[in-house]
Amino acid sequence: MLIEGIYLDGKTSKRNAARLEVNSNHKITAIHLTEQQKILSFEHQSYVVESRLGNTPREITFDDEQLFVCDNHEEIDKLITWQTSNSSNQYSWLYHLENNSKLIFISTITTVILLYGIVVYGIPSTAKLMAHNVPYFTSAQLFSSLDILDETVFEPSTLPAKRQQEIRTLVAPYLSNHKSLQPKLEFRSGMEANALALPNGVIVFTDDFVNLTQTDDELVAVLFHELGHLTQKHMTQRIIQDAMLTIMVIFITGDVETFDLVTGLPTLLLDLTYSREFETEADTYALTLLNKHDIPLQSFVDAMTNLENYYLKENEGKVLGTVNDFFSTHPKTSERIILVETFKE
Amino acid sequence: MTPSSGISAVQNSINTTKENRSIGFEFRGDGMEYFKIWIVNILLTIVTLGIYSAWAKVRNNRYFYSNLYLDSDNFRYLADPITILKGRLIAVAALIGYYIMSLFLPIVAGGLAIALLFAIPYFINQSMAFNHRMSSYKNIQFRFKGSYGQAFMVIYVWPILGILTLGILYPLALLKANEYFVRNSAYGTSKFDFNATYKDYGMIFLTAIGITIAVGLPVALIAYFVPAFSVISSLLYVAVYFAVIIYVVVSFTNVFYASLGLIEHKFEANLTMVATAKVILTNLFLTIITLGLYLPAAKVRMTKYICSCLTMHTSGSLDNFSAAEKENISALGEEFGQVFDFA
Repeated sequence: MLIEGIYLDGKTSKRNAARLEVNSNHKITAIHLTEQQKILSFEHQSYVVESRLGNTPREITFDDEQLFVCDNHEEIDKLITWQTSNSSNQYSWLYHLENNSKLIFISTITTVILLYGIVVYGIPSTAKLMAHNVPYFTSAQLFSSLDILDETVFEPSTLPAKRQQEIRTLVAPYLSNHKSLQPKLEFRSGMEANALALPNGVIVFTDDFVNLTQTDDELVAVLFHELGHLTQKHMTQRIIQDAMLTIMVIFITGDVETFDLVTGLPTLLLDLTYSREFETEADTYALTLLNKHDIPLQSFVDAMTNLENYYLKENEGKVLGTVNDFFSTHPKTSERIILVETFKE
Repeated sequence: MTPSSGISAVQNSINTTKENRSIGFEFRGDGMEYFKIWIVNILLTIVTLGIYSAWAKVRNNRYFYSNLYLDSDNFRYLADPITILKGRLIAVAALIGYYIMSLFLPIVAGGLAIALLFAIPYFINQSMAFNHRMSSYKNIQFRFKGSYGQAFMVIYVWPILGILTLGILYPLALLKANEYFVRNSAYGTSKFDFNATYKDYGMIFLTAIGITIAVGLPVALIAYFVPAFSVISSLLYVAVYFAVIIYVVVSFTNVFYASLGLIEHKFEANLTMVATAKVILTNLFLTIITLGLYLPAAKVRMTKYICSCLTMHTSGSLDNFSAAEKENISALGEEFGQVFDFA
């Protein structure tokens, strides 16, 4: 049998029209160079037939980088089936999988379902498990994280020492209920009205936020929300989830170069979705604690409404409000208030 | 007759006639065909918990290289999945180690991050060398041989100078980077050359800034005095931003290929803004409405378009290139680059 193709010797880029000779024992015996009228013997050479891939040309590589290329898929496939010890055999099922429309349809559906499952259930629950059980992550305490924030965004608080002491006394009993988290309240300024919890147990109230609240109950409601983040180790979970998401995207796209708008945007949106879920979890925790301590749930609603009004005023005149909603790390205030309503029932 | 004597006979008969031709690059891939390969890759990668990703990468790259034709010969991607898997496993282990370290011992992790900063030029060189060596055309492999010092200059020193001079030297930084990567690349034993000038690059930046100011300033003024205009103006900004990006990408690609040389052979690229914008917008639209399933076909369309704009102007035969001697470079350099997101 003779198979028409091209022969390249691997030493120069000269292309030679060639015929591959396969004898009656299904062994490659020689390559005929048709233009030069020469015959190269391949009796005792080992060779590898590259696996079939789409409509790309078939390649057989020999010792010393010699290469035979041809488009005759049928003959080459025959050659592969005749030899049992060849690694290409194990790849031919891949080609068949890639060319069976039914299997491709099933693969597509399966892949979409699997990816959905991984993103919605797999990654969050694995991250939760890891955050709560793996000792390194549990004891992971970014002890210097407040120092970093102090150097970058925060300024010392300008609240009167008396007011600070009042609030500390107010929250002391609740903090001592959460001893295992080693919570500690700090006051800072330099940021808009905000309250945040760092993984090492530090809860920061900004001056703007303290001035914004009208009752002590509102402060306690927000404190409970931050304690919810700490109890559920949200910061650690988010770090783990982001890492897993990144690795998943690299594996799907195969490289980082395609990490552009098309893949980057969904990754960002997923991260924000995770973030909003954490907020809802922390809200639920806060509402449970408020109930437990017989504090009216309305204080939580008031705190959220105050914050929203504050930010509406801050952002006055700026357009793209709807876009911001889409890219927000927190759920909408109206949704959070609905959560309170459903929680009451 | 033994194979070796056959090869020497071929070498003696090399055709040395001069011929000047313009040969177009051609990509023969198909969106639907690649979709099938892509979806099987993802499924098997998920099912094998990521192990298959190395095979997936090789199959992806093989598809794109093998379908790229120049003068009726195709390119090839030669990497062995096992090599890539080893590199990936080590890189992922290092990444996990780094994450744990940054949570547990932030100071040590900080030290490691600085050490990594100095290792980046080395890893980029390794990655380039591996990728070049794993690419071949007409059975002759490409090569890359860079130096740490030069890599350090183009990765850190020139870009920092570009920023310190408020962007005046930034085109030069880009030029130096391209010069470094092209001039250290070779096809077999033949080195590539690159002869773009600071003026070529600078003009592209100046034009981009010019367009931005010429359109942006009037729009900003109108929006300032007529608040109702602000909705339209933000849309206009998005459009101008997109147009400028397209302009920069198209111009740089065209200048890049026009400046590229391989011995006496020259190259040319004729991307146009309208056609490029059309490809990008079509791809973006179809990818979004199919929730990402169009991604592989989008990649094929983009590759097809770019290849259709590339021409090689040969001066003499393409048969006379010879292979460089063998060398071994691990896939680790490349994989480190990918996992730490600087490739």
